[in-house]
Order: sequence, then C-alpha cells, then structure tokens
Amino acid sequence: MPAILTVDDSRAVRTIVGKQVKELGFDVLEAEDGIQGLEQLAQAQVDLVLLDVTMPNMDGPAMLQSMRDGGNQTPVIMLTSESKRSIVAGAMKLGISDYILKPFKPEELRSKVLSVLQGEGGGVGGLGAEPAVEVSPAEAGAAAPAPAGGRFVDVLVVDDMENVQKKLRSMVPQHVSLNGYTSAASALAACRERVYRVVLVDTEIPDVNSAVLAQQIRVLQPHAALVALALRTANDVTKEVREQGFDDVLFKPFRPETIDDFLLQYFDNQDFLQIEDNVLRLAPFAGRADKVDRFYNRVHAVFADALEKVAAACYDEVVLDVGTPPLEGDRLPKLVNAVAEKARDFGMSLALVGAPEVRKALGGYTETKDLRLFATVQEARAGGAA
Amino acid sequence: MSVDKLSAELEAILVRRIEADQLVLPTLPAVAARVLDVLRDPDAGMKEAAQILEKDPVLAARALRMATSAAFAAGTRKITLQEALARLGTRALKALLVEASAQKLFVSRDAQINAALKALWEHSVAVGILARDVLALTGTGDSESAYLAGLLHDVGKPVVASVLLEVERQLTEVYQRGWIDSGEWLMVVGRVHRRVGVALAERWQLPAPIVACVREATEYDKGDRASLANAVCFANALAKRSGIFAGAVDAEDVDALVMIGRSVIGISDDVLRTLTRGLRERVRGLYD
Repeated sequence: MPAILTVDDSRAVRTIVGKQVKELGFDVLEAEDGIQGLEQLAQAQVDLVLLDVTMPNMDGPAMLQSMRDGGNQTPVIMLTSESKRSIVAGAMKLGISDYILKPFKPEELRSKVLSVLQGEGGGVGGLGAEPAVEVSPAEAGAAAPAPAGGRFVDVLVVDDMENVQKKLRSMVPQHVSLNGYTSAASALAACRERVYRVVLVDTEIPDVNSAVLAQQIRVLQPHAALVALALRTANDVTKEVREQGFDDVLFKPFRPETIDDFLLQYFDNQDFLQIEDNVLRLAPFAGRADKVDRFYNRVHAVFADALEKVAAACYDEVVLDVGTPPLEGDRLPKLVNAVAEKARDFGMSLALVGAPEVRKALGGYTETKDLRLFATVQEARAGGAA
Repeated sequence: MSVDKLSAELEAILVRRIEADQLVLPTLPAVAARVLDVLRDPDAGMKEAAQILEKDPVLAARALRMATSAAFAAGTRKITLQEALARLGTRALKALLVEASAQKLFVSRDAQINAALKALWEHSVAVGILARDVLALTGTGDSESAYLAGLLHDVGKPVVASVLLEVERQLTEVYQRGWIDSGEWLMVVGRVHRRVGVALAERWQLPAPIVACVREATEYDKGDRASLANAVCFANALAKRSGIFAGAVDAEDVDALVMIGRSVIGISDDVLRTLTRGLRERVRGLYD
C-alpha cells in the first residue's frame, strides 16, 4: 500500500491531511519539520511527500533541497499558505509535482494526490506536458488512441443489464474503446487499474446507492466525465443526477441522436478523420439528418492538417476512405474536391475508397467524376502502384 | 539615446500628458469603423457595439472613462462595456468614435515592431478572454467583468507604443534619423507601461477593480481567491505560456504562476486544458 509523508508544523493540518489520505487507502507518516521529515524518509519507503513551506528548525524548501541533493526523487506536493511566485518557482526547480494552497478543499487534495500517485504527472508534469501552443483537433485525435484493455480507455459502462453495454457498443464507432461491468465492485476494481475518459453509471443498480458509487468513482477517476444512465421520466432527471454528483445524464433506451450528441460532447471532432500511413479514414456518421452539416464542417476543418502529415511522410499518393458517408446534397463532392485540390498543392495524387453509391454521388460533378474510386484500401494501393 | 534615458523621458512625458489631460490616443481604425457601422443599423443594439469595441483596449478604456460615474464608483455593479455604452448613449458614443477615427495609428518602418505591436493587442484580448473563461468555467467569480479587467490590465502598453510610433515617424520622416530596433522598443514599452497605465487608470477614474489589475498582475491575493485580479493574473500567465505575448518571458515564473493559480482559483486540469484550446484562433485577425 503506498505511503504518504505529511510534513507540517501544525498538528491540526497533519490530522486533517492524514484522515483524508487514509480514506483514499494510503498509509500515513507524519513529521513536524524538515529534520523529522528527512529522518522519516531515511527510515521508511515513502511514495509521496506533502510538504509545508514555513516550519521551525528546517523549512520545506530546505528539506526539499536536501532530499534532491541526496538523490531522493520522491514526488513532493507543496501544501502551504505561501503563494509568492518566487518561492514556488524555486521549489519547481527542485521538482515539486504540484502545489496546494491552504486552506484547501478535500477534493483538491484527493485529486492531486491520486494524480501524482497514478503517474499522471500532477501539476508540473501535466503542465510541462501541456504544449505551449494549442494542439489542433487532428493532432489531439492522433494523440488520444485508447486501445480496449489498455491503461487508457474511452468509456466505462456500469449497468447491471448486460445488454446496455452491448447496445452502446453497437452504436459508437469501433475506435471508441469501451469497458462494461455489471457490478459496482468490478467497476471500482477497473477504476483502480485504468484511466477512463467518460464513466457511465446506471442510477438503478439493485442494492447500490448510485450517488455513493459516483463519489467513489470520482475519487478514483478525478479527470473522467461522470454521466448517469437513467430512464426518461416526468421528473427533472438532469437536476436530480447533478445533485447526486454526476456531470450529465444519458437516457435509456439509447437513440441515435442522443448517442451522436454524446460523441460530439465527449469526443468532439478528434475522431472524424483517422490517419494510417497514407490512408485517411472518414469516421462513420450515425447521427440525425440535421447534424450532417456539422459532420462535414468538422471534416473540412481537419483534413488539411491530415494531408500535411501524409505529405510530410513523403507519400506521393493519399488514399481517402470515405466509407458510406451521408450523400444528400453536394457536401461529399465538395469535400472530395477540396481534398483533391489540397493534395495537389502538396504534390500528391488522390485515390478514393467508398461504397458504389459514392461513385453515383461524385459522378454528377465535373470536378469529381473522373477521380479514381476503389472498393477497398488494398485495391486503391494496388491501383496507385500500377 | 540609450534605452534607459528614452524610457525615463518617455515615462515623464506621458505621465505629464495624462495629468494635464493632453494625451492623444490613437485607436484601431477598423474597430471604430465597425462600431460606427453597427450603430447605423437600426436593428443592432449596444450589445453588438460592445462586442466589437471590446477588441481594442484603448477604445474600451476611453468609453469606460466617459461612462464612469457613481454607477461604477459604487463598486457593487458588474463592470461591463455594454453597461458603459448604455450609459453613454448612441450620440455620445458616435462622437467618441468619430474623434477616435481621426487619430491615425502609425505604422512602423520595422516589420518586427509592427509584429510586436500586433502581439501587444492580441495579448490584451487573450487575457480578457481567458480571465472571463476562468471565472465562468470555475463558477467562482464575476466572469462578465473579468473580460474588461483582462483587456485593460496592460492598458499602458498601447499608450506607450502609440507614442513611440509617433516619435519614430517624426525622427525618420521629418528629421531623416535612425530609430531603435524592435528589441529595444519592447524594452522601453516593458519599462514604462506599468506607471503610465496606472496613471491613466487613476486619472480616468476607471473602476477600482480594473485599476487594481492595471497596478499589479503578478501576484495572487489569497484573501479573495475569486477576485478579478487573481483571474487576470492567472490569465496573463496562461496567455504568456501559450505564446501570445510580445517581449521576453521568464518561463519558470510563468509556470509557477500557473501552478499557484490552479490552486488559488480552484482550476481542474480539465478546465485548464479547455481554456487555451483554440485561443490563438480566437484572437487572430482582430488587429488587422
């Protein structure tokens, strides 16, 4: 079990911190000043230090300096009433993982402790890892693959009815990874091992208080969106679940339009266009008709970056797999024409992959009727090589 | 002339002009023209006018000055440009815009100075957007007033910059003399702007929370965690870390301010990631 050392000259602070850390399931060691803190570190295996700044005998910065000078790289969170940037900047140079200003809320302490211990880097690592310039949606998509069964998973479904997760699985794109559990215990076990982007929790699991379960998941998954799974009723369900600690609600039985909204809300446009070598794959569209324009607008917004990446990898041909896209109007021909023009700008030719209906949709326009269309990516690659 | 001497003389001149109410402030002609267009449209309201006007810190400050009175001095109401414009009325606003349009913003012969000038404007808008979003997303403070506080936190910079451009024009066009490079130009702006901004904010009797942001945007107030000044301090650091800033940046200082601000204001990592998403796109094109 991980051990946390709290170094603070205030007995009250040590008691409060110790209680909250124990509730998370960690062992707690205490020290009144830097000298005692260093002694504790020499005697016991410590996974995290919560360090005050101003203390008698040896203050926090001096203890931190001594730790690093002695080669001790244990993560440190500064927990202090000191907010001068020069002091915090000095501690950051010595590698603190995060900073908490007293007085603090219990959830801030829990969240930052778990973040550091779960290896997500905490404040400094997280901030350092955050790019100074914004990442484009396409880059965000490339950076966020979440293989099922890996440490990072897109969606966790907790519902005692197994068909709920199966139904959801059938309605979201395959590249959205999903774990499903029918009991609270197995779901909590999964939350201890993996990191989820969205957690869906049934509000009617027999013998389980969903509000308490939500709180437990919140502690284990501080960065996940917590969404209640509920039946449509005459009550104000959204208000009720928010009072229970959920961020949002997804109604059962699932409808295509609500799943579409769910995907847009939590996965945005990062998955609209996937890149694999020189192949760009358009995500399948399963939403309602009034979302088609939004779908195409998002693809328009990301394809140039994707083409640039393909061109940067020195391909002379790009394959655009449109699958079975919505064919109403001239949206698809406009998109394909824009991609073809941009590909030409990058010195690449374009091969298309799509269903037979796509040929019909493109054939009615001068700009797109002569583009090469193949049934499969393999054929497109062979055609390009020929 | 050395940077030190130029800074000292410029500061003295500007503070004197502010105290004597003789400061001539050029503004972004495009912004003034667009607001005038909106005011000609009978269907458009002050909300639309305010949305455009709040892209230019100098013009926003001038509008605030004209509208500042007991309503804002009381300190209990939200400080928004829309409210200020409503107090001014269409006729007074038009007069302000016509006067502002007459003051041409000079362009430097040095492309790097022009780029720095653009970055000054974009930084102000970015800090306004971030300060507003910080308080809106955390639900902790007065997000409506935060935009204006962020926009005006460096109001001294465009004032100093515009006077430097005026001096450059006289030296190079009238007297055919050389001028400082962009690095020195930014150093002068950096050294002089704070005192000029504070003098201007006080002289124009801008609302007290805005004056506080102009005075100090580099340390947090632990006593009032959700204050406008804290939101602006955090937003300022975040904009610098996002590269929307003109001048030298101390990266360690900026990282420390972001780390402290997350705890002071109570900003989760998720909110932090959301804040700067697309920021560059949101401020781009405003200056042109």
